[in-house]
Amino acid sequence: MINLESMLRTNSQVTDYKINIHEIKSYEMFFVKGKLETLRRTNTCDTCVTVYVSHGEFLGNADFLVYPSTTEEALKDLISKAAERASLIDNKPYSLPAGGPEDCTVDSNFAKLRPEELAAKVANTVFDANSLPNGSLNSVEIFLNQHHETVVNSRGLRKSQTRYDAMVEAIPTYNGSIQSVELYKQYNFSNLDEKALYQEIADIMQAVQARYEAVKPQQKLDCKVILNKKELRELFFSISRNLRYSSVFNHSTVFKKGDDVQKNPTGDLISITMAGALEGNVCSAKFDSDGLSLGTQRIVEDGKALAYFGDNQYGQYLGEKPTGSLRCLHAATGSLSQKALLEGPYLEIIFMSGLQVDFFSDYIGGEVRLAYYHDGQKIIPVTGISVSGSVSDVLSSIRFSETEATQDGYTGPEKAMLTGMKIF
Amino acid sequence: MGFSQFLDSRRDRAKALVKILGAQFNYVSILGADSKSTQIQVNANTSGINNGQDTECGFVVKLNNGSCFFEYAMDDIGADVAALAAEIKAAFSVSSALKHSSISHTALTDEPLVKSFNRPSDLHTYSDAQILDFCRKTRAVLQGKNEHILNAIVAFNTVEISKLFISANRELDQNYIYVSGMMFLVYRENEKVVQTYAFEGSNNVSDVMAKLPQKMDELVTRAHQLAFAKPIEPGVYDVITDPSITGLIAHEAFGHGVEMDQFVKDRALAKEYVGKYVASPICNMRDGAASTLDIASYFFDDDGVLAGDTQIIKDGILVTGISDLASAAQLGTPPTGNGRRESTRRKAYTRMTNTFFEKGTDKLEDMIASIQHGYMLFETDNGMEDPKNWAIQCVAQYGIEIVDGKLTENYVSPVVMSGYVPDLLKSISMISDDFVTCGSGFCGKGYKEWVRVSDGGPALKARVKLG
Repeated sequence: MINLESMLRTNSQVTDYKINIHEIKSYEMFFVKGKLETLRRTNTCDTCVTVYVSHGEFLGNADFLVYPSTTEEALKDLISKAAERASLIDNKPYSLPAGGPEDCTVDSNFAKLRPEELAAKVANTVFDANSLPNGSLNSVEIFLNQHHETVVNSRGLRKSQTRYDAMVEAIPTYNGSIQSVELYKQYNFSNLDEKALYQEIADIMQAVQARYEAVKPQQKLDCKVILNKKELRELFFSISRNLRYSSVFNHSTVFKKGDDVQKNPTGDLISITMAGALEGNVCSAKFDSDGLSLGTQRIVEDGKALAYFGDNQYGQYLGEKPTGSLRCLHAATGSLSQKALLEGPYLEIIFMSGLQVDFFSDYIGGEVRLAYYHDGQKIIPVTGISVSGSVSDVLSSIRFSETEATQDGYTGPEKAMLTGMKIF
Repeated sequence: MGFSQFLDSRRDRAKALVKILGAQFNYVSILGADSKSTQIQVNANTSGINNGQDTECGFVVKLNNGSCFFEYAMDDIGADVAALAAEIKAAFSVSSALKHSSISHTALTDEPLVKSFNRPSDLHTYSDAQILDFCRKTRAVLQGKNEHILNAIVAFNTVEISKLFISANRELDQNYIYVSGMMFLVYRENEKVVQTYAFEGSNNVSDVMAKLPQKMDELVTRAHQLAFAKPIEPGVYDVITDPSITGLIAHEAFGHGVEMDQFVKDRALAKEYVGKYVASPICNMRDGAASTLDIASYFFDDDGVLAGDTQIIKDGILVTGISDLASAAQLGTPPTGNGRRESTRRKAYTRMTNTFFEKGTDKLEDMIASIQHGYMLFETDNGMEDPKNWAIQCVAQYGIEIVDGKLTENYVSPVVMSGYVPDLLKSISMISDDFVTCGSGFCGKGYKEWVRVSDGGPALKARVKLG
């Protein structure tokens, strides 16, 4: 590192530099029908160097990767080539964040166990959660990662953080006499809570049994639609993408500050805060790749776009204070009790191929693999249907649960009620 | 530039490591990768020359004794190979608390072969400055096409891949290049912002530079039409798919279901349909890195198996699936050259490469003329597989309404195709006599393990639910 920095300093073309070092140690287990198929370990380190070259009224940058195998001679060439490339780039100048040394750890209980012990606990919990007769987990993949990230720049900034994350991918399957059906589950976490993990898997096992029992509705359904946390995550992040500095600067957005995200709202008002870290949220980090310390930024308040957020370069271009790349999203809950949500006929979506949200085309919808249709008297699992609607119409009347849930960077309403969706 | 000097310098160490580990394991292989990718991008206010996401340098060791596979990914093979071998062996401890046993399977294929592969390209005759200049000039012309264009972006991606594979009996290396160019528009008209793109790929920079700008006028016209596009009225329609949507169907609706690691996991309904009709008798479908030249064309896969050309559907009947080394060993079938990794840091799975329907005999104009009311669907947005239950979700950027056998000016966007895969494939009644593949996309396994793929084929006439 010291050698790399001194080599960067001695190149006369290089005005500034940034070094991102990412060390990853992983322990991974892959199970096929309950048997261990592959055990993997990784022990790698990526070093990405960005050089900045000030030329005339412009600032250019270019990056390159350095590996432990990179020789000093090769490094010198890489620096020169990157400096040459940067001198071709005519971007508006911006400054790198300054600062001193800082060493942080994002809280996690992973560090208390050896990776093989942690993996065994995770695997045993996942498989124990399948108590369904005729149920199986045909594929389970477990990834445990320890990340150590360091950002150093020519302005004295020198930050490092250690964080952990884990991902379980499970394929719950129900093997009935007529057919065998499956669903897909990806569960990300940064703190092992065996009870929560067990419940996530147990819930998806119940859902896969429901998919087996599900039927294609014989009649056209016309009722309110209830979304759960996974689809709400997609909806809220789609709103937030419109308010990133980079999206605004490049005109790839449908909202400006002050615009109504919800036009003529008749339901619950949307409020969104982006954050660097949220308790229990797997996307939590202390700083971003530029080394900017991450706080919070309220971007939507009571249905109106309030502020933008994003990285150092585009924040400065817009004349805004860079917030850093905030990866956690908190959305305000609403006013609907569980009882009110589930009143009258409704279609509660349990599993979709993937909710499509497109503000440019004003579209929301997708294929539904499992939903519960309540006809006012009984609940029927249904499949083979799709939903679609106008996302702007949906947002005008959306209602949110008063309960909160967390899913991959999202913390917000557990459920939402949508009206005006076509079910076909 | 040719094959990586770095990998060459580690060749003997890799052989030594294979030999040491071979004393304890029946199968040992090492895959080394040194791939350099550059992304050059110019938009209205910024530009950049940066590392592309395919850039990687590292090794992965694969070990097997007829049971569970072990893999160890690392940055380098150091000079002290014996110490590294000891470190690798020590890494594979499993907690005694784990309640689960391991798989068993037949011996792995390791037929003797020593070979070097190289695919020529003109990439190294172009400087960064020349490619950047092309992007700048193309962007300026594109931006000037129309006052409604908020931002025109032109990007150029180059990737040079070097891979070394060493096992007890095989020593393979390959070096090849692929380049691609993309024009992307952010466009505002009719009080609506729309985004759309055009793509061109080749192993030669000169091809991309010649062909990409030819798509400019069509791109701007499409942006205009999308600004006035309406939502589609959900329903079941006769459709014509352009090659991009044909490829999306081949890839998402059916291709994932014939990845044979899904057969091993009992995750694919296709396993029960080998030798049976799954599509209309006029349908033929293939996958293979050697099937056509596109972004997923290589000489050997990440398991050291030579690139294949697999006929998946012949005359409507499912012939076979595609496989990587591990799934083939578990199924007792020959591997098809479809073992691919996102990088050496990730596991090899069975993955598609270039996946397409073969061309038919119909003229596109006759196909359109045969539809009283329906849509022609264009440009892949995304899709999601469901190999176990054959549900479809394929999203097209837009469709054009067909009325009385003629394409109209009525655009709909976006268009989500859904339904049941065999219903869709068996409804295919006409196939055009042209053929195009496109390698603009990445494919994930579930929601991870991204690799570059191409797909395509001719135009298909089918009947499907749109919404």
